[in-house]
Amino acid sequence: MKTIAGRIAFNLFAWTVVLVTAFPLIWMILTSVKPQFELFRIPPTFWPEQITFEHYVRLIYETPFLKYMRNSLILGFATTIVVVVVATLGAHSLVRFRYPGRERLAQMVLFTYLLPSVVLILPLYLMMVWLGIANTIFSLVIAYTTFALPYALWLLRSFMQGIPDDLEAAALVDGATRMEAFVDVILPQALPGIISTSLFTFILAWNEYLYALVLVNTDEARPLTTGVMSMLVSAFNIEWSLLMAASVMMSLPLIIIFAFLQTYLTRGFGAGGVKG
Amino acid sequence: MADVLFQKVRKAFGSAVAVKSLDLAIGSGEFVSLLGPSGCGKTTTLRMLAGLEFPTEGEIRIGDRVVNAVPPGQRDIAMVFQSYALYPHMSVAENIAYPLKKRGIGRAERDAKVASVAATLQLGALLDRKPRQLSGGQQQRVALGRALVRDPKVFLLDEPLSNLDAKLRAHMRAELIELHRKLGKTFIYVTHDQLEAMTMSDRVAVMHEGDLQQFGAPMQVYEKPANLFVAGFIGSPAMNLLAGVLEPSGSGLAFVRQGLRLAVGDGGQAGQKVTLGVRPEDIALGSGPFVATVRIVEPTGHETIVIADIGGQSAIVRVQPDTAYAVGSETPFAVRTSRLHAFDSVTGARLDLAFALPAS
Repeated sequence: MKTIAGRIAFNLFAWTVVLVTAFPLIWMILTSVKPQFELFRIPPTFWPEQITFEHYVRLIYETPFLKYMRNSLILGFATTIVVVVVATLGAHSLVRFRYPGRERLAQMVLFTYLLPSVVLILPLYLMMVWLGIANTIFSLVIAYTTFALPYALWLLRSFMQGIPDDLEAAALVDGATRMEAFVDVILPQALPGIISTSLFTFILAWNEYLYALVLVNTDEARPLTTGVMSMLVSAFNIEWSLLMAASVMMSLPLIIIFAFLQTYLTRGFGAGGVKG
Repeated sequence: MADVLFQKVRKAFGSAVAVKSLDLAIGSGEFVSLLGPSGCGKTTTLRMLAGLEFPTEGEIRIGDRVVNAVPPGQRDIAMVFQSYALYPHMSVAENIAYPLKKRGIGRAERDAKVASVAATLQLGALLDRKPRQLSGGQQQRVALGRALVRDPKVFLLDEPLSNLDAKLRAHMRAELIELHRKLGKTFIYVTHDQLEAMTMSDRVAVMHEGDLQQFGAPMQVYEKPANLFVAGFIGSPAMNLLAGVLEPSGSGLAFVRQGLRLAVGDGGQAGQKVTLGVRPEDIALGSGPFVATVRIVEPTGHETIVIADIGGQSAIVRVQPDTAYAVGSETPFAVRTSRLHAFDSVTGARLDLAFALPAS
């Protein structure tokens, strides 16, 4: 990378990769602001000749889009809260307390993660029916928790292994109860891990399609992924312009979250290597 | 009255026994070191006293209260950890104030106490910094400050100096002695460094493999080691341990091994296997009834360490630096019979034998 030519070549390559990756996103945004008649013109236009937000207006006022959005937000936040609370306490227990079968337990938790999610759908569905919570957002929260939790637990476990035992011991000697020591000392230390775990979980819940499709079939509980599909994609017709507008609005929350917290996310990927 | 009392305390982790059956009484205001190699149970003992581990059997008392089931925060103790264990997300002031906060002490009083402790430990200028912005020595002071601010009955220190460089360690050693004198509180200090234990303590508890080997004043432990382990562990360079046997000689007994023969006064039985302990400074090279071969000469400046072969075994001898010894040469030597130690080779227990040089 010493010579100018080398640097230019590297930059060209990097930008090519970025463009290839970003092109569908750009195309999605551009399509969402093109008027209907421009969409199927041949040859296609890249830059819209006329910019319109009619699709967004239609989406918001004439379709149940906002209801799906609300469902997705509830689903995303509820899943994240449940998973992070359980995984943080669970990871702390796996790291800090000595009890028989501790390692085995951690491995078994990961084992559920190895099963293809399709395998779990039917048993889960039957369970939801039996519990009487089928067709609710809550049933999806529970379903997502089953496959987000193992990963979250392992991610947080490796974060917590990096926190020295002495810190908690010091807090106990200083007069804190176990819970106080956890809140005052462990949580602040595990915060980067908790944030990246939250992100992973939220993204997972936000983007999930299969479980939502199988477990929920009323508009009252449908999240964006399946809602938008069932609303705009039918056997006879695909409403491309609305679909693109919906896709842009679905992507926005994630893009905003990413922009603010991406440093934590990359740190999450490196977890396990982060010690002391 | 004893301030801290261990009664038949045993601690096992699964099948591994860390502390076997510890009886230890520590007086009020004493500075006591728990000394031993790693794995001897000293840190477990301290952590049991802190309430971070619970004894499998036995009773621990602080003052007149049995504390077996008392949580760490209510034991009226403070602890300084080897790693300092400062809370990384809190400033120095917040770190020191934390124990007060947990006791529900109001902000004004907290600030006043933190300020006074900071003044004692010269931390005033650092109060707003985070621990990672401090040097090792400064972190050590903050850890001490966090212990001091509580004004506890007993201070527990777990190898607090082992992460400092040699110069700073010597300095902090002096400061700790000074601090103990000033506060008059009970200090219990865990270390594997005999220099720290010997220089700072009123009494030293030597531990090995979960057993208390000897508990006494530093000079007593040095001059009358209770068994072979203590004899070999205390002292640097270590005591020379020469195995031999008691044989009948004339009307009495003699300690005999290759290259060495000493008359023994009262005590002992013919045929008993005995290990003779000789400190490096208690061998006098130059004249005497025995002969040693000089193997290695190590001048350190203020003294010279000679490693000599005595009847097939290496022995360490401490000599004045002004005499030169040629490597490979044979030199006569004597031992200071009044300062010899004898141990039963089988049980390791100390034997009270009086030795005398053979009549020449």
